Amino acid sequence: MKVLRTVDLKKYYGSGENQVKALDGVNLEVERGEFTAIVGTSGSGKSTLLHMLGGLDRPTSGQVYVDDKNILKLKNDALCIFRRRKIGFVFQSYNLVPVLNAYENIVLPIELDGNTVDKGYVDKVIDVLGLKGKLLSLPSQLSGGQQQRVAIARALASKPAILLADEPTGNLDSRTSQDVLGLLKVTGEKFGQTIIMITHNEEIAQLADRIIRIEDGRISEGGEEDE
Amino acid sequence: MFGRRTLDRLDRMLDEAIAGTFEESDYDESKLSKVESKWKHFLAASVLSRENVEKEKNRVKELVSDISHQTKTPMANIRLYTELLRERMEGSEDLGLLEEIDRQVEKLGFLIQSLTKMSRLESNIVEVKPKRLHISELLDAVVQDILPKVQKKDLKVVNTYTGSGTAYYDMKWTKEALGNIVDNAVKYSPAGSRIIISVREYELYAAVSVKDFGVGIREEDTAKIFRRFYRAEDVHDEDGVGIGLYLAREIVRRENGYIKVKSRQGCGAEFMVYLQRRRI
Repeated sequence: MKVLRTVDLKKYYGSGENQVKALDGVNLEVERGEFTAIVGTSGSGKSTLLHMLGGLDRPTSGQVYVDDKNILKLKNDALCIFRRRKIGFVFQSYNLVPVLNAYENIVLPIELDGNTVDKGYVDKVIDVLGLKGKLLSLPSQLSGGQQQRVAIARALASKPAILLADEPTGNLDSRTSQDVLGLLKVTGEKFGQTIIMITHNEEIAQLADRIIRIEDGRISEGGEEDE
Repeated sequence: MFGRRTLDRLDRMLDEAIAGTFEESDYDESKLSKVESKWKHFLAASVLSRENVEKEKNRVKELVSDISHQTKTPMANIRLYTELLRERMEGSEDLGLLEEIDRQVEKLGFLIQSLTKMSRLESNIVEVKPKRLHISELLDAVVQDILPKVQKKDLKVVNTYTGSGTAYYDMKWTKEALGNIVDNAVKYSPAGSRIIISVREYELYAAVSVKDFGVGIREEDTAKIFRRFYRAEDVHDEDGVGIGLYLAREIVRRENGYIKVKSRQGCGAEFMVYLQRRRI
């Protein structure tokens, strides 16, 4: 079952001679439960693509379907709620709320949505990510790797349709990166979570089930399922 | 359109359905009570269809395990008769044909064995039970098992790990997983080359690396080689059925670990098995 589909997605900045084609006709399909890596050098358009998929920005033309819903038809307010319910984000900077402890950070998006926390599920996520002993710590008391694990737990806790990770280990040393990515992969598989990860690092991308390469705003490899 | 209380009740009904605890409250003539009954009916029906799918799946698994069991005797008989024929045909030119039969029977036996393991693993008949064990134990066992094949091909297996670190793994199954990977390394290495086994210990995982200097894997194949029955086009001549890596990944996944591969065509391959260092 496809959880994400884009149709001829284009994003142009500027006009005339100065026009930059950040995305130039991207067609992409992602199956539910898949761990996909989007690889490209800086300036290839990969971050622009991620912003489009997550409804953080609107394209010049083209369509994005998440869970069969065309998200570009949503008004801004609706788009915001869509993001909260359907997309989990993990960024290079961990973006934790500094005055909330780890547990409060993890359940914040659920409570924002006025939902009761699925305690059993959240506990399991916390368990797998090895955060049990750290729940009462403030972000400032945690190491970079631990903070990113909290961010991953937060992204997973609301059971999003898609987890979008933008260079999730960009700020971590290589040893910690390996641990964090390993946990991301293992938790993704355990909870059947669809993950799309953006990276410029080939080695990191090797962890994914599928690698999509993007160059000059176009997919150069891996866009269509080949089965 | 709806009263607040009605919506709250509907929200609770859904939550209970997700948790699998939904029950109808009192029956009365209200519309909400009717909705509850329909909801219960719908849930019961979807549970039923899920159970049917589950049953169907189990039936397939049983079938696989029956097949593997029932083929054992005929396979043994083929081997026996081939042997008898060989004795009678001493010196005949047709002995080559017998060799071929032997080879094919071996292959079939291996395939059936792998299928059995796979179906047992998938149907959870056998459980993978990770325990805290020394990593060196695993490496020693795997190296020991592969030695005959290594010597036959004049390869050298170098185990560089001298530490005393531990990880959570199931000895029997992880030996199978790592064994399959080392087996591949042997298969795709040129005679006289080396295979290096090493370990890197991270905070949460221990990575067991198996590096060879063989044919390597084409980039577009690296994600596919773990699929069931997948075989890269350029190695079709080699023996194999495409189950080893699939099994390896399934086993390691059950231990909350994962496998990564780094390779370039013509430059060998490095497989890294990440085992958990602490219990989840």
